[in-house]
Amino acid sequence: MIEVKHVKKVFGKLEVLKDVSVEVKDGEVVVILGPSGSGKTTLLRCINFLENADSGELTVGDIQVDFKKASKKEILAIRRKTSFVFQNYNLFANKTAIENVMEGLVTARRIPKEIAQKRAKEALNWVGLSDKYDYYPSQLSGGQQQRVGIARAFVLDPEVILFDEPTSALDPELVGETLEIIKKVAEKGITMIVVTHEMSFAQEVADKVIFMDGGVVVEEGPPEEIFTNPKEERTKQFLSRIISLEPTYSI
Amino acid sequence: MDFNINNFLESFIYGMKYFPNTLRLVFIPLSVGLVLGTVAALIRVYKVPVLCKILAIVITVYQGVPIIVALMIYNLIFMMKYNDLAAFLHLKGTIADVDQIWIGIFALSLTAICSVSEAIRGALLSIDKGQDEAGYSVGLTKIQTIYRIVLPQMIPVAIPMLTNHVVGLIKASSVVMAIGIIEIVAGATIPSSRTYSFFEGYVAAALIYWIFTVMIEYLAKILRKHTGRFRRNLYD
Repeated sequence: MIEVKHVKKVFGKLEVLKDVSVEVKDGEVVVILGPSGSGKTTLLRCINFLENADSGELTVGDIQVDFKKASKKEILAIRRKTSFVFQNYNLFANKTAIENVMEGLVTARRIPKEIAQKRAKEALNWVGLSDKYDYYPSQLSGGQQQRVGIARAFVLDPEVILFDEPTSALDPELVGETLEIIKKVAEKGITMIVVTHEMSFAQEVADKVIFMDGGVVVEEGPPEEIFTNPKEERTKQFLSRIISLEPTYSI
Repeated sequence: MDFNINNFLESFIYGMKYFPNTLRLVFIPLSVGLVLGTVAALIRVYKVPVLCKILAIVITVYQGVPIIVALMIYNLIFMMKYNDLAAFLHLKGTIADVDQIWIGIFALSLTAICSVSEAIRGALLSIDKGQDEAGYSVGLTKIQTIYRIVLPQMIPVAIPMLTNHVVGLIKASSVVMAIGIIEIVAGATIPSSRTYSFFEGYVAAALIYWIFTVMIEYLAKILRKHTGRFRRNLYD
């Protein structure tokens, strides 16, 4: 279970997160929606301590920490229970696809190389890259890079995978193949928190949708409810604008 | 002006005889510079509290002093204080037993640390912060991320700038003859003081430097191709 309680974050004078609390049950897929600057990416980054929140509490599995007082050891422990898929992939540029996937296993978790290699190959096969083991990121397309990114996150067998707009740097054709992989991850019953602008994906995959704006959670609930019968005025406004703009491609 | 080929060859041979001294004056400072310069650059880029501010000031101030001035200062300090220091540390031997080349190596090392750290800092800043974040996100510690992800990517970026500094260091090594160390230039002009063929002597020295520099640049090219093989279409 992932629980974020009363997290606050200020950048200079800008209050990005104003007392946000989120609860994610095991195996649940939570999609966070919201306009730019609403704090959804910051929330995700705080969970992985890529950003240091100013206050609040975080529970990941059996580890509970205070955002402000977390020690280096606790941060490392949290990071080893979570993994992150970045908007711009952030694959290790100096490592091949398979080395990217193995890095966390071998260096962080001290798993013997042969076993790590076997697991990395399985993960890469699973995302459909069985022919790209020894390619450097610079030799892969955006969609392929993001699939390596997903394999890298997935192979660590984390409590939760955090997806930060995993498809927004991709062209429309590649969005489909990447979402397909994310759906496969969801079907495996892995807990996920996904920040995305893909409404149809959210509708199809999410167990729970959270709508954020201005650093607070405006509304949350099952997708059917949020998409068809939103309660808050701000949610209605956002959805009416987005959904009319939504291009129609099937995934 | 007549060009006496025999005098030129004699100067060339004398210059080559002292070439090992130049090698020591270049490669010892370079090694020291690479190690300490990288550490200094990392401290500044990763903003280690207090230390990063001190280093920024020290490096800026030190780079404002010409090598020859620094060299003269060290030489004077050395000559005045060595015997006291040796006595204090219970070392055997006096100032006469110490090869003066070490003063040159010391001065050039400090210069190398400054210039190398600036080159490496520039290269480190060119690496996207996302690479660090990706390292942390798969559970690597800061040190592991720097060692396994950031440094290998920094090297091919730093090599062109570093090559430039090595070439600068090769040329700067000739100033140590001001405190009486014999290296290529001083060596090549030894016969000149007998034959009066200074022109040939300096041309011979120039030729040695030129060959040395071309070799270094060629090595650097191979090295950056090798270390940068993960990058696409970078150098060719």
